[in-house]
Amino acid sequence: MYNVLPWYIAGPLIGLIVPLLLLLTENQFGISSSYRFIGSKFFKKIDYFNYKSGTDKWQFQFAIGVVLAGIFSLYAGVIQVDAVVDNSTKYSEIANTIYSSSNILYFFIGGIFVGFGSRYANGCTAGHCIMGISPFSLSSFVATICFFIGGLFASYVLIPLLF
Amino acid sequence: MKLVITLLLGFCFGSLLIATQAYSWFRIQEMFHFDSFHMYGVLFSAIITASICLILIKKFKIKTISGQNVVLNPKKLEWKANIIGGILFGIGWGLTGACSAPLYILVGMHYKIGISLFLGAMTGVLLFGLVNKKLPK
Repeated sequence: MYNVLPWYIAGPLIGLIVPLLLLLTENQFGISSSYRFIGSKFFKKIDYFNYKSGTDKWQFQFAIGVVLAGIFSLYAGVIQVDAVVDNSTKYSEIANTIYSSSNILYFFIGGIFVGFGSRYANGCTAGHCIMGISPFSLSSFVATICFFIGGLFASYVLIPLLF
Repeated sequence: MKLVITLLLGFCFGSLLIATQAYSWFRIQEMFHFDSFHMYGVLFSAIITASICLILIKKFKIKTISGQNVVLNPKKLEWKANIIGGILFGIGWGLTGACSAPLYILVGMHYKIGISLFLGAMTGVLLFGLVNKKLPK
C-alpha cells in the first residue's frame, strides 16, 4: 500500500499557495515563466529572451523551492519515485518501467512539447488551471480544455502507438 | 525576505504535489483515462480554494504585506495561442506525466529523467523564442 495524501487535503492546501503568494510576495502563482527567465540568461540574442526578466525572477526561485522538495523527499525516503498505485490498468505495465534510463529520449521529446506549449499558451497547469480559472479568466478556461484535449490524445493515441 | 518566502512556498508546493503523487506518470495516465477521481479532486479543490480566497481578498479589500492593494493581471485571451499551445502542452503532459512543477520535482527526485525533461523543456522554449513571431496568436 502506498501512502498518498488524499486530494481533499492536498488540493485545498495547494489552493492556499495562490493567496499566500499574492499577499506575501505580490506575485501571481505560476511556474512556466521560469523557463523564459532561464532562457534570458543564455539566449539574450533572441528577441523573445531579451526582455525585462526581473519580473519572472521570482518564478525561478519558486521553481528552485520545488526542486528542493524533490531532493528532500528523495533523501527523506518518504516516497516511491515510480509509485504505481494500481497494477490492473492497461498502462500499469508501462508505468512500472517508465522512468528507466532507456526512456531518456522519450522524456526529452515530451519535454519539448511541455516547454514550447506552455510558453505558446502563456501558462501551464499552475498559471492557467489554478491561478487563471480561480478569477474566472476566459483564456485560462480555453487553455485548460486544450491541455486536456492534448493529454487525452497522448494517452489514448500516442502512448499505445509508442509502447 | 521575499526570497525566503518564495523558496519556502515553492518547497511547500512541491512537497504537496509529491505527497499527493501529482508528479507520478501513473497518476496522470489514471486521470486522462478517467480511472480515478484523485487528480480531479486535487485540481478542483485547489481551484475552488483559490477562488474563495480571491473573492474574500476582494470583498474585504485585504492588503498585501507591504500595504498594497491586490491587483490581478488576467492573462490575455489569445484564441489561437491558447488552443494550439494548450494542445501541444497537453500532449507533453500526457506523454511525460509531468507539467511544469512536476518537471522540477523530477529534476530533484530522479535526476536522469528530470534533467532530460528539463533540457527538453528548455529546447522547446528556445524553439518557441525562435519562431514565436511567426506563430498565429
